Amino acid sequence: MFTRRLSRWTGDTLMYALLIGVCTFMLFPFLWMVITSLKTADEIFHIPMIVIPAHPDLHAYIYLMQQYPVFRVIWNTFIIATSGTVLSLFFCSLAGYAFAKFKFPGQKALFSFLLGTMVIPSAVTLVPIFLIMRDLKWIDTILPLIIPGAANAFGIFFMRQYISTISEDIMDAARIDGAGEFTIYWRIIVPIIAPGLTSLGLIFFMGAWNAIMGPLIYLKSPENFTLPLIIRSMTSPVGRTIYDTQMAASVISIIPLLIIFLIFQRRLMEGIAAGAVKG
Amino acid sequence: MLAASRSKRKPVKSSSKPPHSLWREIAKARWPYLFIFPFYLSFFIFGLYSTIFSFYLSFTEWKGLGPIKLVGLKNYVSLFKDKVFIQSMENGFLLFFLYVPLMTFLALILAVVLNSKRVRGFQFFRTIIFMPFIMNIAAAGFAFRLVLNQKYGVVNNLLAGIFNIPPIPWLESIWGARVSLCLLIIWAWLGYNMVIMLAGLQTIPSELTEAAMIDGANPTQSFFYIIIPLMRPVILFSVVLSLMGSFGLFNEVFILTGGGPMNATLTPFVDIFNQAFANFRFGYASAMAYVYFVILFALTLIQVSYFGKRVD
Amino acid sequence: MSHKMIHKLMSVILLSVMLLSACAPKPTPAPATQAPATSAPATSAPATSAPANLSGKLTVWCWKAAWTDSIVKSGGLDTFKAQNPNVEIEYVEISPADIYQKLPMAISAGTGAPDFACVESSHLAQIVALGGLTDLTTQVQPYVDKMNAYKWSDAMLDGKYYAMPWDSGPVVTYYRRDVFEAAGLASDPDSVSALIATWDDYLNVCKTIKQKTGDDCFASNKANNDARLYEMMLWQQGLGYTNAAGKVTVDSPENIATLEELKKFWDANLLSDQSAWTDGWYAELAAGGMTPIATVGPGTPEAPAVKPVATLVEAAWMGVFLKSWIAVGTEGLWGVALMPAMKAGQVRASNDGGSNVVIPDQSQNKDAAWALAEWLFGRTDSQVAIFKANDIFPSLESAYADPIFSEADPFFGNQNVRTTYVEAVKIVPVGYIYGPNYALMNRYVQTAIQKVSTGTASVADALKEAADAIRNDTGLP
Repeated sequence: MFTRRLSRWTGDTLMYALLIGVCTFMLFPFLWMVITSLKTADEIFHIPMIVIPAHPDLHAYIYLMQQYPVFRVIWNTFIIATSGTVLSLFFCSLAGYAFAKFKFPGQKALFSFLLGTMVIPSAVTLVPIFLIMRDLKWIDTILPLIIPGAANAFGIFFMRQYISTISEDIMDAARIDGAGEFTIYWRIIVPIIAPGLTSLGLIFFMGAWNAIMGPLIYLKSPENFTLPLIIRSMTSPVGRTIYDTQMAASVISIIPLLIIFLIFQRRLMEGIAAGAVKG
Repeated sequence: MLAASRSKRKPVKSSSKPPHSLWREIAKARWPYLFIFPFYLSFFIFGLYSTIFSFYLSFTEWKGLGPIKLVGLKNYVSLFKDKVFIQSMENGFLLFFLYVPLMTFLALILAVVLNSKRVRGFQFFRTIIFMPFIMNIAAAGFAFRLVLNQKYGVVNNLLAGIFNIPPIPWLESIWGARVSLCLLIIWAWLGYNMVIMLAGLQTIPSELTEAAMIDGANPTQSFFYIIIPLMRPVILFSVVLSLMGSFGLFNEVFILTGGGPMNATLTPFVDIFNQAFANFRFGYASAMAYVYFVILFALTLIQVSYFGKRVD
Repeated sequence: MSHKMIHKLMSVILLSVMLLSACAPKPTPAPATQAPATSAPATSAPATSAPANLSGKLTVWCWKAAWTDSIVKSGGLDTFKAQNPNVEIEYVEISPADIYQKLPMAISAGTGAPDFACVESSHLAQIVALGGLTDLTTQVQPYVDKMNAYKWSDAMLDGKYYAMPWDSGPVVTYYRRDVFEAAGLASDPDSVSALIATWDDYLNVCKTIKQKTGDDCFASNKANNDARLYEMMLWQQGLGYTNAAGKVTVDSPENIATLEELKKFWDANLLSDQSAWTDGWYAELAAGGMTPIATVGPGTPEAPAVKPVATLVEAAWMGVFLKSWIAVGTEGLWGVALMPAMKAGQVRASNDGGSNVVIPDQSQNKDAAWALAEWLFGRTDSQVAIFKANDIFPSLESAYADPIFSEADPFFGNQNVRTTYVEAVKIVPVGYIYGPNYALMNRYVQTAIQKVSTGTASVADALKEAADAIRNDTGLP
């Protein structure tokens, strides 16, 4: 009896130890980033190592705002993420609704086809899409970053699963009342699926905010950059890498998502779980 | 054109009717067709056309400006002799085996631990462990570079101070760089995989585990004989995702190592990107992308059929 | 509500139709944009005053050290603007590495290229070969024999010129007088030059320094080696990655022998493992000059202070970097000697780097762009002013007659280092390192050197592997 208790106690301790260990691992880079952003350049690379800066201050942030169009870049990132998300949510929910709640010839085949398109890796279409964008003169705009991904198979799949759980009665009632199909979508379905839209929207938003490859290929002028790009531009071979400023920029790039995450984390994780388990 | 009302009370059968009925079906279904149209249009342009054009390009030599030169199978032949590309494929496998088992196992364990009623602070731990996922890789990668610096990084300093270990060349050696990359990947994706596992766990009715406990099974046994078998689909899903992921790794590699010392951490996707946008060899990059596509597809098929067979 | 529906549908259809019709990319785009520039006739004489009727907006892509710290600081921009009040110049700061990527991409994308772009010599040939640059043959004619001769080969394609040279990178040996003295060696430039007359002599000097002081001779990272030192060693012998006929020589006996020579330094454990342009590398160069900051923090180990590195074989532009930000506290501790020759009697100079200016063909203001380039780099006063501002070593040889090139530099212990630079630049042979495929070849050779230095492969095997890969990729023999 006592050994049972003891083994339970050690079991619990082990579990907590594991959890705390993993959490430390997860938090450590964040913390180090913040601390580094408060150090002076000499303190960052110093032997012996300096952990806590002697006079922590915001000079790196000030320098960042003076030398880089930070607000413009934050705005860019925000616009790209938001418009991309709204566009994607619109098209994906529309198509998901169609697949979920309608019967039409070829539906099964069309849907299987849609799933099949997820097999093609983006590496294959990388060059042609770039060439298309070049000919459309969309380089250095946000369009290449939001249009190709607007109607994407994952989103449609997700929405279809989600919408299929809604009962048909409301739709039937609306049709009897003479509502057009799009109106039904816009005024009835959308409000109902708001939680699902939030989840999916969060996934899209995050992806767009943190994206590197798309902006790397398509955004040319520094004032059109997104936050990850600006951070990356601060390492240069020749010249001192401004670690303190770079870390300051990194901290700034994380804060908006962090806030959104902390508020909406449940929705976000529901979205991820739904995509996986029902898949 | 504007259908004011439509009755859907009659179910529609279309299989054995004469053709003109089919057209009426299609006409009736103009709304759903319209709704799904954007996807197919987008796919037609950015998917189908692009894939075909890429196939065409793979038989050419082209720098993006000037005339396109058809060269037949030359690119594919070169690919087979391209040691860097072969290395990148090897790296895909290597990295997969290096981080996927560990990450999947850890994700599962963490999910089980959190899911068990014995641990308090579920929300708190889940939030913290998931948090790295929301961070952009540029910020994370550069932070890791700082932390893993051989001479000045905090990790080596701590190891030296506490355990007296000589400085480890994290980013300076072949295996060091691979391990560092895996550390970054695990850091970024563990929470995500854990959430997937948690969702899967929640589909396991708790009566099962409780029944097992009553029967005298200890937690370890219930873990291996109940949880893992029931979680197989979820684990499979996670692993298949990770396999495609390890070949397609881009952000982490690009920021942390750039391909690593002596191409040790180069992944196929980064190689394709370099050939296309640093060397401007569009034809060659397209050929590379196709070979990559074929290999990836085959791997996914193998994985799914092998593991899929063993799922009840 | 129904009308709104029609409109919504119409716009969707319209958008789709637009997309479909607009995006039929032409597989064979317009012929390569290499038409000669329709530039003003007034540029045939090396005028000291540019025509004042130029107007327009120039977008300049250049890196900060080159533009802000050199050109702007020299006042050359102001005088140009005074002469050309209707020309507006917009400066975009882009690092050299980003220019290698962005400029070809912008040229390839057909839009977004600047009017005036600084391009380092290492990547000039690649950008020239890509196409999309303005033909400057007529404009540069008067300057062809006024610039360092070896600068032109990268700017040329099929007999036409596509760039204007700006600065060169003659290679010398920077050395620490205090370290040499501590090792019991003579520390004045002439003696040091004599001591390191050949690479084998240099090896022995390094051994002495290591023995007597424990200091490393120079830094050359193993696992992430960038091949630049190796390239300097090849260039001084008139060798390269290809030969004059375009045949790949990466695995030629001479190239192998050169790498074997470098390997001797690693084998004798004389080199520091810091990667160039990292903080550890800077710390070594600045050691003995920086004042340490008081340490704060729990239980950090007592690490030894950073030891200085004894020498640095690098181009003239390194001098001002050392002076102005890398090793600020080490004034007076440095000297400059000639680079060692591979074998006795051979050339004791090489080239590393250097920059040029190109005018993309997309530019709407080619005349103004050329006028700016000529104003800044074709005139002796201008080049001298730029040199005075930031020690950027001019490719324009008439500049060397200026008195500043006979001045002593206190940072280098009052040595007249400029004479050494000029001496070096005059004997640099034509090398075959930079070429249209430099980036690719450099990457493969980097891997080879990394393998050699970490003991993963022998010199011959590593270079052969690199050479084969290069032949495979480029189709060169």
